[in-house]
Amino acid sequence: MFKHKLTVMLGILVLFSMVLSGCAAAVPAAQPAAPAAEGEASWWKTASQSASCEGVTIRGISESTPPSNFARETLAPAFQAETGITVELETTSWDEMYNKAINDMQAGTGIYDFVYIEQDIIYQYLANNYLVNLTQLLADNPNLASPDFDFAKFTSFIDNFKDADGNIYGVPMEAFVKIYLYRLDLFNDPAIQEAFAAEYGYDLAPATTHQQYQDNATFFTQYGADNGLELWGTTVQGNTGHASSFYEFFESIAPTFGVYNWGINSENWKATVENGGGMNSDAAKEALAFWVGLLQYAPPEATQSTWDEVAASFAAGRAAQGWVYGENAAWIATDPDRSKVVGNVGVALPPVSEGVMEAAADGSGYIGYYDGGSFGLPVSSKNQQCTLLWLEYIGQESVQADWAVAGSRIVMESTYDDPKVQEVDAKTDNYYTLMKSEGPLFRGAPPFPFHSALREVVQPFIWKALSGELTAADALDQAAAAADAELVNLGYGQ
Amino acid sequence: MKSSVMRNALGWVGLYGLWTTMIVVTIIPIYWMIVVSARSRVELFDAPTLLINSFYAPNYLKPLTDPIFQRYLVNSLVIATSNALLVTALALLATYALSRWRLPGADNIFFWTITQRMAPPAAFVLPIFLIYTRVFKIGDWTLFDTQLGLILLYCVFNLPFAVWLMKGIMDGIPVELDEAAFVDGAGRWTVLARVVIPLVAPGLAITFILSWIFAWNEYLFAANLTSVNARTITTGLAAFVSVTGTNWGEMAAVATLAILPALIFLVFVQRYIVTGLTFGAVKE
Amino acid sequence: MRSNRMGWALLAPTLAILAVVGFLPFLYVLYVGLFDWNPFSNQLGMQWAAVNNYRRLVFDGAFLDSLWRTGLFAFVSVSLELSLGFLLAQTLVKNFPGRTVFRTLYVLPLVMAPIAVGATWRLLTIPGFGPVPYFLDKWFGIDYRLGTFADQAFLTVVLMDVWHWTPFVTLTLLAGLTAMPKEPLEQAQVDGANRWQVFRYLTIPMMMPVLLTVIFIRLMDALRVVDEVFMLTSGGPGTATQFIGIHIYRAVVPKTDYGYGSAMSLLVLYFTIVLCWLLFIALAQVGKQRE
Repeated sequence: MFKHKLTVMLGILVLFSMVLSGCAAAVPAAQPAAPAAEGEASWWKTASQSASCEGVTIRGISESTPPSNFARETLAPAFQAETGITVELETTSWDEMYNKAINDMQAGTGIYDFVYIEQDIIYQYLANNYLVNLTQLLADNPNLASPDFDFAKFTSFIDNFKDADGNIYGVPMEAFVKIYLYRLDLFNDPAIQEAFAAEYGYDLAPATTHQQYQDNATFFTQYGADNGLELWGTTVQGNTGHASSFYEFFESIAPTFGVYNWGINSENWKATVENGGGMNSDAAKEALAFWVGLLQYAPPEATQSTWDEVAASFAAGRAAQGWVYGENAAWIATDPDRSKVVGNVGVALPPVSEGVMEAAADGSGYIGYYDGGSFGLPVSSKNQQCTLLWLEYIGQESVQADWAVAGSRIVMESTYDDPKVQEVDAKTDNYYTLMKSEGPLFRGAPPFPFHSALREVVQPFIWKALSGELTAADALDQAAAAADAELVNLGYGQ
Repeated sequence: MKSSVMRNALGWVGLYGLWTTMIVVTIIPIYWMIVVSARSRVELFDAPTLLINSFYAPNYLKPLTDPIFQRYLVNSLVIATSNALLVTALALLATYALSRWRLPGADNIFFWTITQRMAPPAAFVLPIFLIYTRVFKIGDWTLFDTQLGLILLYCVFNLPFAVWLMKGIMDGIPVELDEAAFVDGAGRWTVLARVVIPLVAPGLAITFILSWIFAWNEYLFAANLTSVNARTITTGLAAFVSVTGTNWGEMAAVATLAILPALIFLVFVQRYIVTGLTFGAVKE
Repeated sequence: MRSNRMGWALLAPTLAILAVVGFLPFLYVLYVGLFDWNPFSNQLGMQWAAVNNYRRLVFDGAFLDSLWRTGLFAFVSVSLELSLGFLLAQTLVKNFPGRTVFRTLYVLPLVMAPIAVGATWRLLTIPGFGPVPYFLDKWFGIDYRLGTFADQAFLTVVLMDVWHWTPFVTLTLLAGLTAMPKEPLEQAQVDGANRWQVFRYLTIPMMMPVLLTVIFIRLMDALRVVDEVFMLTSGGPGTATQFIGIHIYRAVVPKTDYGYGSAMSLLVLYFTIVLCWLLFIALAQVGKQRE
């Protein structure tokens, strides 16, 4: 009796899996986007054959983002149709991606033929010789150098992926700036403008100073409360258990107060003021106090918000202004399926302290975070030539515009002029134009080979400042001391 | 007399009150997940209501029609079922051995088996990754990203539990029954198949169920030891926590889909759980 | 006499699998724990450190804090699960209308993946769209924000664990109660013992082996909890719910501090084994008394 039941159940399970596999097989694979032109044998085909890559499968890993998904769903099938090389791109969460890529490259197993390299991690990878020198590889294989591919076509963002000699280690696939977003409908409402001017004695506008930002935040929080709206004055990427809050503070907030490179002195690798660093300088403390203070004007989910939730809160219309990663600007401003503030998104440069804008203009400082990533080729890859073809394929000018529309990322100068991109630009209050003209004011993470190890040591203090367990000043004093100790431990600045 | 009626009535009220509360508390999180899975992204931040006003089907349709997601589901089914079968069979043999032979050091072996489950998992990811990619390697084939790799690995977590559970049950079966069968001329395997297995069947069932559930649910190792081919449904959940505004609706839909098979399974078998879960700790 | 060879043969597959996927990695962790090894430090490769990592652990405040928090979490949640589970199991021994329905619905959390449990509770508790903060504020005026208030976060994590695992405890205890001989209990009632006396002097002692088993299993798993807590709070706010499993995860994975992280895991494994060994001995003792 009993055994019988068990057999039946197992049978059902097996049947279930068989039906599912049947379904899986019945669904046709995504159609290749651009079949090769009839007649002439395409350059890609010839090159693929010459390196005997036809039938080869290459595998990559990336974060599950719109740009990566576009590469997986559109570019990879098109590339396969042209070359006969199958591309398997694994897209997963940010933490998992690093873990797996590093495990693979560290052990030299060669599972991945290309990996996503975020701008801030490249120095770690270079210090460990994880990556293939693409400049060299192209020079060594002239028959594989596509006429449609040229490193010179990329924006200056590609400089982030160069070593000291100018050799390139990654083909940029996404780039954006962390931008100041505000609600056009609120800021342009005459009644609101009047009320604001009456209360503060000056006109309501996107903030250019921190005081003004705070006034705006205070005003709109009060406005939301008075009118029974689910509206607050600002977003804060203040998750008290996730690296995203560390990044918002050190890469977006602190620079606007003139604290650069996480407050670490790159001459002697020290963070504390007494050792010549700046992590616990007065400016840094002022910045942290300002930012933590914004929590009272932020929606209650702020202390649980990573970059994902900040964008979601803003898109839900719960904040009047905020620092938001630019990759989200396009969908927040244009996609009615996901956003309630379509057409009402304004874009501007973030507020800064006195002198910071000038420092950014002359190159000695910066006002925010220029982020992005590339695909690089691990030394451990067993299919380097075939992967090189793939990297060139995604680095063609012709694929950039659609990719930009799908993922609000731009890595080439020419993409800015594409009609498709300009159409989106018009709908996003000229985000792309701003990125093009003001991009140089922003900068990526400092070239630290110990990036994630140090972040892990410092971030608990930021979290404790956000949750109110520590004051801003204490948090940074302790963080700087811990950073100094960890840097020594890692072999820097003995 | 009257007071005892009162007490009885109070007892019933208490009993049903207690259970109704427990069920409500138990169900709400799951129910809320279904509510969220029925919402589109623009509705997510609407004021919380426990009613499902509209049903946003794409949350379900998108993963269900996605071949990648289907592969995850198949992988999960194959891995969980194979692992549960393997663990149940091994535990049967192992506990039969531990219970019927006086093996030197049996107690230590038994405890050592259990300790396998105690290690904090994070530090063991790298070693297992290395073993899978470097030691088990035939040409280009490795255990990494294979269903077999996960099936074997989950034995580490399931076998201790299974051995423990089965040991108690096995010990509870009188050796005299074996002896009687031997006297009748039966061989070792016949005894195992005809005498022992029918008696421990509820225990085998519960071992199978719990192993299956664990293998279905494991996340950390599944995430790190697979890449494309052998990924399971729990790892698929993580992919929905994405950069462009966490896609809670779709994630809730996938989570709902992920517990569905386990749930159906449980409803079928749950009455055997009660008879099988004694760990042999109570002897009559 | 019977030869032991067949016994070993039956045991061999189990031992072989555990040796390869369980013991071999353990040896590797033991080995790595004796080195300073962070691939992203200034010294590439592994540097021999002997027992230095273990020496550092004793003075590592964050590690000790995390250990203490984990112990507290395990103690509180396992006690709650045990008391609630015992109460519920006792009500389930006797049949009553609706018992099967209650029991079936009640064990639902048992089949949920820890990571899905964490996700579900996160959906419940995010201010702005989860019902928990909304109704707590509306009905009781409580400002509930997991990301800000450490006590609330800790309490929520405990409740989540209780929600997830009490069904298992209940079922196991129910199995024990059902298998318990009825005669002594009935005899005691005839002899005029009240309910409390029966419970205290008969049920508890007879259930002792089952109770210890449940404690053992739950403790073992509560001490290594990661997935659901990581999904719900990521260990925050600050380090308020950073239990040892998460602490080690952070050291080994994002920080790539392989040597120190390995040493940490081994020490924790050692503590867990000692704790469980004590319980195991107690269990064996009770078993002997019974015979």
